[in-house]
Amino acid sequence: MAEAVADVIRLEGVAKRYRVGEETVHALRGVDLAIGPNELVAVMGPSGSGKSTLMNILGCLDVPTGGTYRLDGRDVATLSQADLARVRGRRIGFVFQTFELLPRQTALRNVEMPMIYSGASASQRRRRAAEALDRVGLSDRMGHRPSQMSGGQRQRVAIARAIVQGPALLLADEPTGNLDTRTGEEILDLFADLHREGQTIVVVTHEPDVAARCRRIVRIRDGLVESDECRDP
Amino acid sequence: MRVAVANVGNACEQLWAHRLRSALTVLGIVIAVTSTLTVVGVVQGFTRYVADFLQGLGTNAMWIWPERPAGEAGRRLGRIAMDERDVAAIGENCPALRRISPLVRGERALVQSGRDETRATLEGVSSDYLAIRNLGVAAGRPFSVVDVEEGRAVCLLGRDVVRKLDLADDVVGRAVLVAGRRFRVAGLLAEKGSFLGNSQDDLVLIPYTTALKMYPAQRRRLAVSAQAGSEASVPEARAQIVNLLRRRHRLDAYQPNDFNILTQDEILDAFNSMSLVATVVLAGIVGVSLLVGGIGVMNVMLVSVTERTREIGLRKAVGARRRDILLQFLVEAVALSLAGGMAGVALGYGLCALASLHPRMVDVVVPAWAVALGFGVSTMTGVVFGLAPAVKASLLNPIDALRHE
Repeated sequence: MAEAVADVIRLEGVAKRYRVGEETVHALRGVDLAIGPNELVAVMGPSGSGKSTLMNILGCLDVPTGGTYRLDGRDVATLSQADLARVRGRRIGFVFQTFELLPRQTALRNVEMPMIYSGASASQRRRRAAEALDRVGLSDRMGHRPSQMSGGQRQRVAIARAIVQGPALLLADEPTGNLDTRTGEEILDLFADLHREGQTIVVVTHEPDVAARCRRIVRIRDGLVESDECRDP
Repeated sequence: MRVAVANVGNACEQLWAHRLRSALTVLGIVIAVTSTLTVVGVVQGFTRYVADFLQGLGTNAMWIWPERPAGEAGRRLGRIAMDERDVAAIGENCPALRRISPLVRGERALVQSGRDETRATLEGVSSDYLAIRNLGVAAGRPFSVVDVEEGRAVCLLGRDVVRKLDLADDVVGRAVLVAGRRFRVAGLLAEKGSFLGNSQDDLVLIPYTTALKMYPAQRRRLAVSAQAGSEASVPEARAQIVNLLRRRHRLDAYQPNDFNILTQDEILDAFNSMSLVATVVLAGIVGVSLLVGGIGVMNVMLVSVTERTREIGLRKAVGARRRDILLQFLVEAVALSLAGGMAGVALGYGLCALASLHPRMVDVVVPAWAVALGFGVSTMTGVVFGLAPAVKASLLNPIDALRHE
């Protein structure tokens, strides 16, 4: 089935080495991974396993030192810094553990931000940001600042910001890590809804509860894919 | 283009969102620019004031008076003297001079009229003196040649003397007592104003011949006030006088002058070099204030780096290119610095205007270079310290910037 449709993500032998002082750290040692459209994948692994590095590479925040990474069929190694920025802005949506909203701007302005860099007009930005906030159930909180919202609401704003450009891939890094269990469940419900609507989502987590909501679980250990299993929900 | 406009909008939004930080940054710049403008303005105003006063002493004027030179050579000279024959010789043999007047300076003399009395500077002069010093006669007449030749007891009163003696213009033709002698008031001098709080109208002029009768000891110690024919002939006149007096006083080549000669230009030069020193010293003080203002700006900018670094990381993660980040931060820094600079210039001019309101304050002159200096240095500081952390952060990997603590 995966062969029939073009993969959103295809990693072949992806490696990442860092130099820390005199030592060379091999964060990734040759990861092969393909993720097709409309998959909901959990990437799990203990700390130091390389899962954060993998996430950075998937998000085009970092480039691999070995192997090839194709996003939408394009090899990211051939892209310039400006092209990478464009890919991050249009094709990838990030959700961070610590939300990363601009504290002094309203929810609406926070969601508008990615569109500033893709050159949308002000009215377009406003309309699409309002739609995205509506999608995450915050249409009554558009004028609120992050400090006036709960953690769950902040993460919803962050998700609205991530999906506002209609990305090929939604990347979430421990999206429930700073939330209580019930709020975390709500956020995961939201991901499930987005997935049902066709969104490709990769969630990096170390919480089994979170991974249990995903059909496919990829386990990373020592910079390699340890297991890659699909389950029926 | 639309992205660039949005970046500028971003910058303005961020400035407004961080009002307190923006205000603190602006404040540092405002203080630096204001103090530069005010201090330099006052110093320059004062300099011009003194220069104007020196110009007002006369036109192409010079002064010569007997003086024993310092040092061993001076001690070996015989009697130091200048008398009427010297003055006459200068008058006849120095073609570069237009006018000349002996100058007998008495001590502060008591002037009385009825029961009123005051003390005033007494000067014995010739009829040319008024023209040399640019003194006008407001009422009555100046000295005539005959007044001087015959040593008549006539006088010209300065405006302050008239005021202090409680007299009016009708005093012309009447008599006052000067140092106990009766003098007929020939005329009143036009008002010259005060300099550094000292009145220049606190003056009584009498013919020098009359003054020499009152102070016979001054006969050998006459001073001279002279006027060169034109500005260009001042050095020539000076040389002619020096040659003549050295010849008349039979000074050998190795002996120093037994008199001193000072031209208005020399006084101006001396003052200018003095005011240059003052300006340099004050520029140093102003430099400190610029530095302090700059450090304030730097401080505010650097303190906000942590927060800004995360913001930059986030913006890069959602698609901002390096140039987007740089443009936003450049606009922020320039806008803040310009706002501060302009407010500083306005405030500086305001303070100068306020200072000028004081009746005894000189007119403050703010030179363009002070504006340029204050504005330039502070805006440079603002831009450099506003932009430097942003440049650094824009080079960071977005993830590192987001993790920045």
